Amino acid sequence: MNDDFDLLASEYVIGLLDGDDLARARALEASNREFQASVAFWRRRFEAIDETATPIDPAPDLWTRIEAATAAATPAKAADAARQKSVGIWSNLGFWRGAGLVGAVASLALALFAASLWNARLSTPTLVAVLVTDQNVPAAVVNAFADGTVELVPLSSIAVPDGKALEVWTLPSRERGPVSVALLDRARAVRLDLKDLPRPGSGQLFEITLEARNGSPIGRPTGPILMKGLTLQAL
Amino acid sequence: MVGINGTIDLEAALVRCGEGDRKALRLLYDHEAGRMIAVAQRMLKRRALAEEAVHDSFISIWNTASRYDPARGAARSWMYTILRNRTLNILRGEARSELTADFDAFEQESLEDTPEEIISKLSEANALRRCLERLDASRRRLVLMAYAHGLSHGELAARLDVPLGTVKSWLRRSLLSLRECLQ
Repeated sequence: MNDDFDLLASEYVIGLLDGDDLARARALEASNREFQASVAFWRRRFEAIDETATPIDPAPDLWTRIEAATAAATPAKAADAARQKSVGIWSNLGFWRGAGLVGAVASLALALFAASLWNARLSTPTLVAVLVTDQNVPAAVVNAFADGTVELVPLSSIAVPDGKALEVWTLPSRERGPVSVALLDRARAVRLDLKDLPRPGSGQLFEITLEARNGSPIGRPTGPILMKGLTLQAL
Repeated sequence: MVGINGTIDLEAALVRCGEGDRKALRLLYDHEAGRMIAVAQRMLKRRALAEEAVHDSFISIWNTASRYDPARGAARSWMYTILRNRTLNILRGEARSELTADFDAFEQESLEDTPEEIISKLSEANALRRCLERLDASRRRLVLMAYAHGLSHGELAARLDVPLGTVKSWLRRSLLSLRECLQ
């Protein structure tokens, strides 16, 4: 067992990490088996402490509020099923035979479209952030390009209850605090508005929170963090 | 989802949640929400904030349950990981300034959850208790205040009136000896 790894895992489970160390632990938890095993070891041991807490009766409206929030949300499996359906068509040979000609035209159009995108951008991203959920599942990517544009590309659908929206934030510096860079009704690819901010740097935090439909009323994240990640330099 | 010996099968309930079964979510709520509020309240002090943490956690549980794999761990562990993450986010982020201002006033309310009280509630046979009791009382307090009350290195240093570096190295040494003892 690697002692440094295990120490990081223990500090992570106990809740002592912040900033870069926390980001490093999250990345390791998503990718490294040895670290996952270490985290599991410490969680199993410390759970006993949570079990010593004497239950408190929830306020009567707590369940009502949870029920309302989840009723509006698409159950996760249903969203998965919808995605599977759209994958299904890709493996349907009959469909593709019939669609061959249309496909040829479409792929030419797509190639031209891709070329125009390529020209517009002239480069691959200089910085990339993979935003992960609190379960360490990658859920979106932020790409920053040399020409100053920054885009968000979701990797999975997100249940957005009625009257709520997804707000994208970045933390240009601790002094400045979080700045809203997009407000979305659902997960979709979008260009982020960073024009009033310094060029993003390596290790800059991006996150998405669930907020009221018109965005956070106080200009700072107030709702649950759905995903977050730090930018890394692309090769 | 009720097992043969009358216990609730939380794993099955969580899997059913992932399939969109709302009754399964209610089952998890009935079974765990009370203790989850108590765990969050140890850290957040205020009942209303603790309920918000549990509220957000159940929405997150519902939204991500389809990714839960019973082969990789207990349902309770999965749920409390979500809860602790959410609670620490609230503690370290949004409610920070309010909390520190109120901290002393609310501390009185949670007397039953001092580190000593928590230790005494762990079963005598529990390995963590046995190993925590091998640490110096002051080091044991640090570990418990960090885990159960969510205090950061900085807050622990202020509370004990010792330099930040000292608290960090005390905690590291305590964790290394806990690891050795728990293995």
